[in-house]
Amino acid sequence: MTGTLFLQTLVDGLILGGIFSLSAVGFSLIFGVLGVVNLSHGIFVLLGAYLGLALKEAWGIDPLMAIPLVFGALFVLGGLVQITLVSGAVRRGSLMSSLLITFGVSLMLRDLIILVFGPDVQSLSSSWLFDTFRIGGVIVDGARASGLIASLLSLGLLSYVLYRSKVGRAMRATAQQDFAAGLCGIDVKKIYAMTFGVSAGFAGVSGIIVGLINPFTPFDDTHWTLNAFVTVVLGGVGSPVGALLGGLMLGGISTFSSQYVGSLYPNVFIFGALLLMLIVRPNGLLGNAYKGSV
Amino acid sequence: MTVLTIESLTKQFRGLRAIEDVTLTVERDSITSIVGPNGAGKSTLFNMVSGYLKPTSGRIEFDGHDITGMAPYRICRQGVARAFQISKPFPELSVQENVLVAASFGRAGERDAKATTTRAIDICHLTPLRDRRAGSLSIGNLRRLELARAIAARPILLLADEPCAGLNDAETRELTNVLSKIRDSGVTILLVEHDIKAVRRVSDRVVVLEAGRKIADGSATDVFSDQAVIDAYLGTAPA
Amino acid sequence: MRGFHKPISSRQWGLSALLLVGAVALPFVASPFELRLAQQILLFGGLAVAWNLLGGFTTYWSFGHAAFFGLGAFAAGLLGQQLGPEVPVALRLVLGLLFAMAVTLAAAVAVALPVLRLRGIYFAIAMLAFAQILGEVSKTFDVFQGAIGFTLPILKVPGLAKVQLFYFLFLVFLMVCIGLFVVMRRSRLGVGLTCIGQDEDTAAMLGVPTERYKLTAFVISAVLTAVGGVLYSYSLGFMTADTVFRIDISLNLILYSMVGGIGTVAGPIIGAAIMILLTQVVLGDLLDLHMLVTGAVLVAMVTLAPKGLIGLVRDMRRRREETTVEEGAAS
Repeated sequence: MTGTLFLQTLVDGLILGGIFSLSAVGFSLIFGVLGVVNLSHGIFVLLGAYLGLALKEAWGIDPLMAIPLVFGALFVLGGLVQITLVSGAVRRGSLMSSLLITFGVSLMLRDLIILVFGPDVQSLSSSWLFDTFRIGGVIVDGARASGLIASLLSLGLLSYVLYRSKVGRAMRATAQQDFAAGLCGIDVKKIYAMTFGVSAGFAGVSGIIVGLINPFTPFDDTHWTLNAFVTVVLGGVGSPVGALLGGLMLGGISTFSSQYVGSLYPNVFIFGALLLMLIVRPNGLLGNAYKGSV
Repeated sequence: MTVLTIESLTKQFRGLRAIEDVTLTVERDSITSIVGPNGAGKSTLFNMVSGYLKPTSGRIEFDGHDITGMAPYRICRQGVARAFQISKPFPELSVQENVLVAASFGRAGERDAKATTTRAIDICHLTPLRDRRAGSLSIGNLRRLELARAIAARPILLLADEPCAGLNDAETRELTNVLSKIRDSGVTILLVEHDIKAVRRVSDRVVVLEAGRKIADGSATDVFSDQAVIDAYLGTAPA
Repeated sequence: MRGFHKPISSRQWGLSALLLVGAVALPFVASPFELRLAQQILLFGGLAVAWNLLGGFTTYWSFGHAAFFGLGAFAAGLLGQQLGPEVPVALRLVLGLLFAMAVTLAAAVAVALPVLRLRGIYFAIAMLAFAQILGEVSKTFDVFQGAIGFTLPILKVPGLAKVQLFYFLFLVFLMVCIGLFVVMRRSRLGVGLTCIGQDEDTAAMLGVPTERYKLTAFVISAVLTAVGGVLYSYSLGFMTADTVFRIDISLNLILYSMVGGIGTVAGPIIGAAIMILLTQVVLGDLLDLHMLVTGAVLVAMVTLAPKGLIGLVRDMRRRREETTVEEGAAS
């Protein structure tokens, strides 16, 4: 039995890790390209979930089908936030200002969510997702399985865009040397806005998947922001692979510590891992995808 | 009397010998300049004297103590100050406050910090600017602030890293005057400099490096008429 | 350290004395509601000043000072429980404060050694994580009773209502914080920290003992914050992990400093007064909008007046002086 338990824990960890990865990849991208720690990231994740909820309740759109719509909406929102609010802080080169501004944005958006949807617990359950299936004693339910698949697909898509498309190349160039990228004819402002948009879009998509699996409240955003930060610090800055690695590690730490140590402990372990990594290797296992390790 | 003795110093970076078997001495109260084409090893030599790089072999003796491979802050405490080419003042502090910090926290300690500061500012021709915010200074003034800060720590030896780079003729002239005054105030100077005119004007002695080796050592007049030096260095640049 | 700051002028002394007299007289004229507001301004103003002992001089901005706030409160709560009811309340509070200070001192040193090696945002986030861990640990392990909490005995002084008593305790706390800040700013330590704030590598090169100075400021700031946590919990009469390990406390300290002016004495207190009055009086009935307004104020301040209101006033005054000088020169 212990073998099965171990395997079940491992599978749960992987699934959770896939979701962590997706929810963190946008955070990682902004950190890598703009050098900004986006404290409004968690609220973008929640906005995705709440938009999914609104679409479902208004027009009965299945949450998974709503993914493109949510991505589009958050892409626009993220881009606007960057252009109107964050860009000033980036121009001044003040990391602290960007930290505070994005925190202010998160407070405002959280309040708006509460005003529109109320402070109570909500969920995005979709009836057909509750079927469970077993593979050799390990139980997986439909919501989690589709969550993992959607996460991996999205991460793959983002990798493709980053490494194969012109926009992706411009993003990576801007991350390395924004000034030089500007000299080469890249519209750095546009790339920054795009990066913010893409990042917010992916956060929103992950919000839908989170919403399918877990109930959510407007106060969860700190949790998701911190998770994203831990994921980036574990895996590495700026790349989908780093986010995947960090997310899987975070998922593993989370499920194994709650299975084998106690259900109340995961956060202690997660933040302990964060502190340890910050001190030992603050740029993550894979380092910064764009810049040499500092 | 000798302040600094460098004995058969060598620094190897992987396959490259940046400094090879260099020996030289610096006399008290003199200005000794190190010149040479780019990549000759001037900065490497400086970094070893100030402790930022550990030599592969050889020995550095300062003021009677062996300082080979010592940590920078300990060398600094022994009395070696360094003025950087890219000076980094505290931008929000005034010129006077910048120098006062160096005087108070440096080797001398807080006693007489005020008097030391006034003197350093005066030597470096900064008295009219002493209440200006350091962040608002021009590059020439910044270089002199860097020197003032370095000597406010009351060093025995000052390492000056290309203080004239990027300055116009008038600024260079003022800076070489300041260097002479610093020497006359009792601080020995080791200078790395590209500007040959400036080097001629201030140096008591000139050492020429090329590809990590010392190829000449003597008075400015002697060294700059040496055929090997002209071939290796001056021939390549219109001086 | 001499030569860095002008001596405090007699006008400044006079103004301070006047403010103090006003503050001492207030509890005898104000209504209980007004006093409770004033209490909060004193306490959180004091905490914001304490935060500035490190964050005001340097760019080491702790996003997790609630850790020390909570640590102090828990230390005092646990000790109070051990002492039992036969010990007088006042003595319990004093012993609790001393114990909280000792525990926080030890914890702050232990945390600072690794965390102060991190710079900028990494330091900020590491502190945030540290505060989260302490909060979780206090809830998870039964010995700390974080989830249930403690009931704290009621402190009574004859002739003073409870709200007046804690008003005076918070006033003393604020004055201690101000005193430490002013003394520190004028000391060698303060000058060294200012240099660290502007360029840490250069400061080290000029002989500023950066590690020791950062540690000193961090520890003093942490211990003061712990004292604030103990006083706050006694004023509430109870405490749980959720009343003290609050992320919003950490962030409010930064917000108050930011609004008033980081690195100044009056700034954090003015900031605390403005934000507390704004949220509790102006928007008193509009609880729903507190976060929205707080967020908007934060964004607006960072974007439009990054040096806070005091910085804004100073800049305006400087500009006016410069123009008068130019006009004088022209005429």
